[in-house]
Amino acid sequence: MFKELDPILHSQLRLAVMSLLISVKEAEFTFIREKTNSTAGNLSVQVQKLKEAGYIEVNKQFKDNYPQTTCKVTPKGIEAFENYVMALQEYLQVRKQ
Amino acid sequence: MQEAEKEFSPQESLQLITKMIENTKNSISDRSHYFLLWGWAVVIGCLTQYFLKVILNYPKHYYAWLVTPIAIALHFVLKYRDRKKDRVKTFINEANAYLWTSIGLSFFALGFVFAQIGWQYCYPFYILLYGIGTYISGRLLKFKPMIIGGLLCFVLMIVCVYQPYDVQMLITAFAVVISYIIPGYLLRNQYKKTKNYLL
Repeated sequence: MFKELDPILHSQLRLAVMSLLISVKEAEFTFIREKTNSTAGNLSVQVQKLKEAGYIEVNKQFKDNYPQTTCKVTPKGIEAFENYVMALQEYLQVRKQ
Repeated sequence: MQEAEKEFSPQESLQLITKMIENTKNSISDRSHYFLLWGWAVVIGCLTQYFLKVILNYPKHYYAWLVTPIAIALHFVLKYRDRKKDRVKTFINEANAYLWTSIGLSFFALGFVFAQIGWQYCYPFYILLYGIGTYISGRLLKFKPMIIGGLLCFVLMIVCVYQPYDVQMLITAFAVVISYIIPGYLLRNQYKKTKNYLL
């Protein structure tokens, strides 16, 4: 049998956020919102779940008197993402055979 | 992407990952204005110095390089203006920033060397630094005109060594036109096109 897909990552918006963060050093919340075409409310909830899982780091600070939230993937997040992609590949290969 | 919890297939998962990575790849910030600023500053400096030295026979021809502090000031104005624009930090942008910081510091440090051994030796070294900077930047950005411009700087540097000082000024101006100015404008156009395409 193949590995079970990580439920934290196997969700459209959370996976989109992780795929985005995996290819950059860090990104602002507003940037992620635009790229994933999501609403602020929904994105906040999903970002919080990724943070609770330890997959991303969220930093809130002030930049020129405006609140700014930046997200960054953690080593644990990278590992989880890699495992998720491997599980996907395994799954797709089994399906092909 | 409203329904975050909606079930989706492994194929859709892979498609989403690929799409997001592709999408983010286009997020390399437009830095063409720095190439254009320094490109024009060097061209103005070289041609003014040539004009003062060769045509007017003015002994203090090096005054032409007063353009440098003006360019440095403009550089910091642009940097200040850009500070809010960057909402994403990519590894490529960061590598580029480190590269150009080290090139900038090299120009500064070399100033002390030429102050000791004589400024008549400066141009080939400056062309070499333009070559190193634009070649690596071109590779990082995967931007051919800049790679070619950078490589040509190495050729021009060698040519420059065998030319008299007056001609070296013109060669330096030419080196900057092909490695900074032309790629700078082409880069700017490319960003504009990508932006429109994404919209």
